[in-house]
Amino acid sequence: MKWLDKVAEASSRKVAQRSSRRGLLKGLGGLLVGSAAFPLLPVARAAEGEKLGAPVDPGDPMQCEYWRYCAIDGFLCSCCGGTQNTCPPGTEMSPITWIGTCRNPADGRNYIISYNDCCGKTSCGNCLCTRNESDRPIYRPDKANDINWCLGTKSATYNCSTAIVVGVALDK
Amino acid sequence: MKRQLFLALMALVGLTACGDNAEQSKVDSSVSEVAATTESLKEFKEPASVPVATPGLTPAPLKAEPIGIIKKLAVPYPENWIVAHDAAFFHFLEGKLFVIDPTAETVAEQVKGQISISFIGQFVQGTARPEMYVAETFYTRGTRGTRTDVVTIWSKEDLAPIAEIILPTKRSNTMPQRYALQLINNDKFLLVFNLTPATSVTVIDLDSREVVNEVPIPGCSLIYPTGPSGFSSICSNGGFYTVQLDQKGQVASKERIAPFFDTDKTPLFEKPAIINGIAYFPTFSGNVQPIDLNGTVPAIGELWSLTSDDEKKQGWRPGGWQLNETDDQGRMYILMHPEGYNGSHKDGGPEVWVFDVAKGQRVQRIKLENWGVSLAVTHGANPTMVVTNANMLLDVYDANSGSFQQTLSDIVMETPFVVYGAE
Repeated sequence: MKWLDKVAEASSRKVAQRSSRRGLLKGLGGLLVGSAAFPLLPVARAAEGEKLGAPVDPGDPMQCEYWRYCAIDGFLCSCCGGTQNTCPPGTEMSPITWIGTCRNPADGRNYIISYNDCCGKTSCGNCLCTRNESDRPIYRPDKANDINWCLGTKSATYNCSTAIVVGVALDK
Repeated sequence: MKRQLFLALMALVGLTACGDNAEQSKVDSSVSEVAATTESLKEFKEPASVPVATPGLTPAPLKAEPIGIIKKLAVPYPENWIVAHDAAFFHFLEGKLFVIDPTAETVAEQVKGQISISFIGQFVQGTARPEMYVAETFYTRGTRGTRTDVVTIWSKEDLAPIAEIILPTKRSNTMPQRYALQLINNDKFLLVFNLTPATSVTVIDLDSREVVNEVPIPGCSLIYPTGPSGFSSICSNGGFYTVQLDQKGQVASKERIAPFFDTDKTPLFEKPAIINGIAYFPTFSGNVQPIDLNGTVPAIGELWSLTSDDEKKQGWRPGGWQLNETDDQGRMYILMHPEGYNGSHKDGGPEVWVFDVAKGQRVQRIKLENWGVSLAVTHGANPTMVVTNANMLLDVYDANSGSFQQTLSDIVMETPFVVYGAE
């Protein structure tokens, strides 16, 4: 049960009713299955000197179940004029933020994801997505998604959230 | 009555659309929207008694009415009232707090008035003064410009702002929660939690309505009233930090409490239910960590469990936004959900469990009418429990029996994340 799904659903219902695409609602419903939506592929570890193939970043950044969003809470910038790693035009990216550790189902690696907020305009309102894997209360600010992370920006007004790959976390 | 309204709207729309087929098609879609909206309206109720003209006599004309009358509220508020904070998640700049009688039948009787709260503000009610306090943020150009952080003092009687205290522009801008703005020392001091993300607490003397101090709380967060004139904060290392203030709001003593939990592996919710000065912090996994805040230094109590072994196997865990509450009988209410997992701690739940905290025993299990996200319980011997449901409507229960009373479906709020029993 994801109550924010219902909030998001209610806010987007009018749009969905007028649209032939039901992708948004389908995507929100997908939250319930979360990471199970991706097959967990066998991990091909690159040994020393082993030739690596092209990196793979699977999934749709406009959908909440996209692997990078495992600890996100907010409006997806991909639905707001930006992308999963860029802010919408005319906003400002927060230089400090919280991080999550999310597993890329295509390569089996855990990545550190930085959820930089985009700031300076009112709430985007599209594609609300809340996933709380390993989220902690605000006494652990580094892992807390309840904070408006528009800190260190000219305006603290929150617009949307990105999910930027910072690097590979510890192999498991 | 509803049908009349619908026909009138149909007629109005029909007139505008006359003679234009393309326009007609647009209008048809409007009509269906109107119909849907009208259908969703609650059945109109005729007033209980409709004045009737005396037979055979022409009614006398109505008297001219005075203009400009603004209602006031009697203070203190009745103990079954609530204050609901709509944080306006989809447009944070414009939140509101409704003062509500949740036991009344109609929206006209339920809604008593409202106050404004800007930019994910924080809220606390005075108990020693007939005042309510809001910590909020404004920009000179709405979403941009120069930032001003302010504590606005609202009169309970007028629901009007009566004073402002300008703050350093660093108040915590987090989702609304009870322990970001607190009163201590019989409401002498108002404490504001700051997060930049460096953390501190601004001390306001409410006698003079001035900021008198800013206390750094490095590595720690939030405000839990502690001892006669102090507070504790919960720290990232799993410990506590405690400060006592003198009568001028200056630091009289400070102390760090050694870590007693693992913030990664066995996290506590930051939202305790405080009963008789003892803070009962739920853990993500379903235990309760009591911490006695009556002395000048917190005393860490023995952990106990909310669940039996069987319930633990079924994955019952606490969860929600404002997930717990207390009543005047010393009971703790907490939202619970089965099949919990890593990340389900804010999901809410289908049941509220009620505990006698002195015995660490469950005394009641309330199956909710709708999935609950946040809860509040009012004061008194016959308290009302109000649950913010997953549709962001407020459900009302008799707290003693657990019986569902009604949904406050006519009160329009977008995201009433935190509800308070009226003080």
